[in-house]
Amino acid sequence: MVKPDDIKKECKSILEEGKVKYIVGYKRNNNSYMSIPAFIEKIEETDQLIWDPTCVYNLVRFIRDEKLRKERHKNPDTRPIGVIVKGCDSRAINVLLQEKFIKREDVYIIGVACEKSGVIEKKKLRKKFNEKNIKQIEFGKDNNFIIATEKGKTTISAEEILAERCIECNNNTPVIYDVLLGEKVERSLSEHFRSLEKFESISTEEKWNFWKKELDKCIRCYACRSVCPMCYCDECVADSISLAVKPDTTAEEKAQKIRWVEKSPVSSENFSYHLIRALHLAGRCIDCGECERVCPVDIPLRYLNKKMEKEASEQFGYTAGLDPEKPALVSDFKDDDPQDFII
Amino acid sequence: MRKRIGFFICHCGINIAGTVDVSKVSEELSKYPGVIHSEDYIYMCSDPGQSRMIEAIKEKKLDKVVIACCSPTLHETTFRNAAKVAGINSFQCEIANVREQCSWVHKDMKKATTKAIKISKAAIERARLNESLEPISVPVTRRALVIGGGISGIQSALDLANSGYEVILVERSPSIGGHMIQLSETFPTLDCSQCIMTPKMVEVSKHPKIKLLTYSEIQEVAGYIGNFKVKILKKPTYVNPDKCTLCDECTKVCPVAVPNEFELGLTRRRAIYIPFPQAIPATYTLDINNCPGLFPIACGKCADVCEPGAIDFDMKPEILEEEVGSIIVSTGYDLYGKEEMAEYGYGKYEDVLDGLQFERLLSASGPTMGKILRPSDHKEPKEVVFIQCVGSRDPELHCAYCSKICCMYTAKHAMLYKHHVYDGQPYVFYIDIRSGGKDYEEFVQRAIEEDGVIYLRGKVSKIFQEGDKIKVWGVDTLSGKDIEIDADMVVLAMAMRPSEGASELAKKLKIALDKDGFLAEAHPKLRPVESLTSGMFLAGAAQAPKDIPEAVAQASGAAVKAVNILSQDRLYHSPTIATVNLTLCTGCGMCVDVCAYEAIKLEEGKAVVNEVLCEGCGTCSATCLRAAIKVKNVTPLQVHEMIKVALGG
Repeated sequence: MVKPDDIKKECKSILEEGKVKYIVGYKRNNNSYMSIPAFIEKIEETDQLIWDPTCVYNLVRFIRDEKLRKERHKNPDTRPIGVIVKGCDSRAINVLLQEKFIKREDVYIIGVACEKSGVIEKKKLRKKFNEKNIKQIEFGKDNNFIIATEKGKTTISAEEILAERCIECNNNTPVIYDVLLGEKVERSLSEHFRSLEKFESISTEEKWNFWKKELDKCIRCYACRSVCPMCYCDECVADSISLAVKPDTTAEEKAQKIRWVEKSPVSSENFSYHLIRALHLAGRCIDCGECERVCPVDIPLRYLNKKMEKEASEQFGYTAGLDPEKPALVSDFKDDDPQDFII
Repeated sequence: MRKRIGFFICHCGINIAGTVDVSKVSEELSKYPGVIHSEDYIYMCSDPGQSRMIEAIKEKKLDKVVIACCSPTLHETTFRNAAKVAGINSFQCEIANVREQCSWVHKDMKKATTKAIKISKAAIERARLNESLEPISVPVTRRALVIGGGISGIQSALDLANSGYEVILVERSPSIGGHMIQLSETFPTLDCSQCIMTPKMVEVSKHPKIKLLTYSEIQEVAGYIGNFKVKILKKPTYVNPDKCTLCDECTKVCPVAVPNEFELGLTRRRAIYIPFPQAIPATYTLDINNCPGLFPIACGKCADVCEPGAIDFDMKPEILEEEVGSIIVSTGYDLYGKEEMAEYGYGKYEDVLDGLQFERLLSASGPTMGKILRPSDHKEPKEVVFIQCVGSRDPELHCAYCSKICCMYTAKHAMLYKHHVYDGQPYVFYIDIRSGGKDYEEFVQRAIEEDGVIYLRGKVSKIFQEGDKIKVWGVDTLSGKDIEIDADMVVLAMAMRPSEGASELAKKLKIALDKDGFLAEAHPKLRPVESLTSGMFLAGAAQAPKDIPEAVAQASGAAVKAVNILSQDRLYHSPTIATVNLTLCTGCGMCVDVCAYEAIKLEEGKAVVNEVLCEGCGTCSATCLRAAIKVKNVTPLQVHEMIKVALGG
């Protein structure tokens, strides 16, 4: 497993050489066992960097923020930014490259292989431990996690608190990077789409009831959208409030603004919002699980996206973010594509 | 500004009025906001119907009209032209399809009427937001390209050239002539195929307006109707046709012998060869795939003996770039493959032939100089079995379609066999005889009655060799008897299929294929020679199995279609094209990937639509995640308003 010191050393040398403007990584949150994103500009700050099972965040989101910052700046610093990415996160970069949202030279990618492990899922952790007691979680040997509490250290099998997406993951090594830490290890802890099984076996009515119950909870805070590395549009088609007005926006364009989805958080509009989002992520979602993590009302959004991922994989043999040079899922077809879904 | 909208609903006899209460629709729509004129009429597309619309527009100063009638593919142009006559922009006329999408598919009058009202209201909402547009005009390159030098391609090229237009005729093999030049005699008149074909070939080669490119292939096609840019790969023949004197010395020294394609493998040819004596262009070709080698020269004997020095080993492939206004595709057919017909022993037994091989045996210029001899032992066959529908009309295993010409050529084969071998006995196994065509039925009857061909209605179950005979087991379903024939030769009427490489070419041309792989016509009845790509036309067996007269007729039809384009000063293109909202476009390029017409490019990180290439299909609009690209007069706002009114009330 990659040691935090390896990351510190690598980042130090990158900053020393002046290759990047700053590095986005993970550091300890002072009053919690969790990590938080860290923006490392100075060499001495690299000591703050950590690498442990709480590094759950997909830092690719910050590439978008940097792009916007650069666009606003008159004389921007055009050096790339460094980003620490896991296997899943690296595929998000590939999707952004594929969609020409960023250029390869905009980012310096520090890939970290998850090897045989992954990151925790807070929900699972809470069931087993009192969060308040936890001081720190570390990678242990043999695919174990070491949980340090006030009373001492406990070793627990990683699978017990590993995020579901990590258990299903088969892209545990970054697919694009400038420097790779850790080793490429083939592993799959379970079937790739295991978590979908329970949804696929239930009836349409049960599915409807399940999603009605879940989506009715939505308060339309748009946190899922804000955290998603793929949601970079200036104007969201699923949002009737925001209108991107730029110098070249014409009066006609303003007049033609349509409310496909009303802003009130009622069933029909919540369904529309989430289904539009799921469709817009088809062939783009790389299953970093951020939408589900940030949801304040615990909607299992990952299942919607995972189902789309499964369809793309089974019907068209497509996995998001593997090759930025290939056309996107929805902009490509083959003569032998399945057509049985056409009524 | 408040729009003044006129609404008209057509009875279409009882096609619409039989299921939809048209007067109720008209009454209901007269109350709809903005509608100041509403009426129903028995045939809106008739002259009086159109006049009513024109008068209403003039009298009531209407600025938009909606016609509830049949599909816009049928009468949209009619009504738009009428609107133009009345003095409003033709795009201010919108069609509500209440026939194909309502009256024809429903039975309940009440519900159908409600639906017709909704469809009409939705069309009014769409019309309300329609922009006035003018057609986009583009210049025309007054030259044509014909792909394929068989009888169809030759006919098209000659018709075009005789109309005064320059033609480029591209043929991938070393000579033009196609399959027709391989045939012996043609049904039903039994005139010699070569004798009627060669004058046309010569005419092509001498015509000042025709540029003939043989041994050449289409590499790339870009552009659009009136303005295609074509890249043609001219493969090297390694023989300079101007110097070659056709002395035939080179073939005498060539050490290689490979199956002769022109004789369908019945004889062998050299690596340097002329396909047949009347080949156009009359020159030799060095087949590099079978030559011992040029890089470095492994043999070089042909060049050594060539007195005029016509053989040039340094010849290089050339890529020619041509601009044309129209393209005719006549890539022809191949016979169904040997590998698929193993059950009839084809490819296994030497004396089981296909139709084209038998043509060569019959041909006066063929390998046997017109004598019918078995390939195995060169003896005259005394009993010959002809089997029809080999691969055709067999949806389970082979082709579902009828290859159309086999009934006729099998009758011809049997008849000609009898003319050659007086004491021979031809048998024909058939499913049924399809002899529709001028003098065709009489021809088949002549074969049966005068020439004594025995027709057996039934299929053959097994063919196998026994001694020097080929045993044919079959059944005669009319008498119910099992049939066993000790044949000397079996001729299979193999199914026709699109020529090899036709699908790749279709991809380059962006022409659709039908389910069997033949080139798809734009409309099976009314546009049989047009492809779905404007400016490209189809001729001959590339579109479907057909005989010579049909192929020639279609070729002439395609030529006239091409002249339709080439004779114009400018072409007009529909202005309902995609436009990009630059504010929202992020330059992801998905629209570029999906555009079937290659009409979109990225420029400075934003999508830009080529307005001439764009066909307004809307695929880009459906793909764009950011709703940044839309088609004029089918904007998301229009669709939204249409959905709203369709769902409400």
